Amino acid sequence: MTPEGDVAPDVPWVTIVWNDPVNLMSYVTFVLQQHFGYSRAKAEKLMMQVHTEGRSVVSTGPREAMEADTEALHGYGLWATFQKDS
Amino acid sequence: MAKAFRRQGKGADRRYVATLDADEREIVATLMEQVADLLEAPDVAGTGDARFDAIVAGMTFSGDPHEATSRGRTAGGGQRDPALDRLLPTANRQDPEAADEFRHLTEGGIRHRKAAGLAASVAAVRAASGDDVVLDADQSRAFLTALTDVRLVLGERLGLHTDEDVEAVEARADSSDPDDPLVYAVALYDFLTWLQETLATALLRR
Repeated sequence: MTPEGDVAPDVPWVTIVWNDPVNLMSYVTFVLQQHFGYSRAKAEKLMMQVHTEGRSVVSTGPREAMEADTEALHGYGLWATFQKDS
Repeated sequence: MAKAFRRQGKGADRRYVATLDADEREIVATLMEQVADLLEAPDVAGTGDARFDAIVAGMTFSGDPHEATSRGRTAGGGQRDPALDRLLPTANRQDPEAADEFRHLTEGGIRHRKAAGLAASVAAVRAASGDDVVLDADQSRAFLTALTDVRLVLGERLGLHTDEDVEAVEARADSSDPDDPLVYAVALYDFLTWLQETLATALLRR
């Protein structure tokens, strides 16, 4: 799965949720609780970061896990992407 | 008059109940069916109600006829409905190759799961007991996401790309002729937003 030249194993990947005008704050909080099992407080903190800063890193780890999180979040209708942590 | 989702019962008997009249239930069910069609087939079957179909199947209200086709290209370079890009967005903004590979591996499954959730929600609405739409825990989660999928499509049709767009479109609807399709579309969007907010709030864990 890992492309050639992309072999820095100590660089983690991240899943990002981006702000969008349709998804409700309550729903984003619900999804972060539901998918990641985050506490209400943590889910609300991440949701507020999406809302006020336009994006939030919602998970960190190996590429495959971040792709799985992105796929699940797309299933919920959130605007999620995965990328190498920068 | 619709009544918001509220919790009833405890534990395994917990239910989420909203009261919607026959017209409201039909609107919710039909919009969900149309979004399922959009996900499953390239050509959307109409309902025969032109005003309804226009909202889901491609009319834009932004006043710019080119806007709908200037964005959202498929991997093959062809153009696809921008609403599909809201339901199935790009997964990597830095690496188009990784985004294409991800889409290739996941899109079919996501489309199928969304369509299944929409179909289950349509069935739940159509199974209303009297005017009460009664959802168990699994149904309530599927219904919440089905409402999201419908609102994403309506939002794209309304040109809602930023938070400011929402206020601008609401203001335009307020000052438009009541027969303007925009007014109807915004009223549908606002109704679904209200319904989803009440269900999301009822489902949030402490």
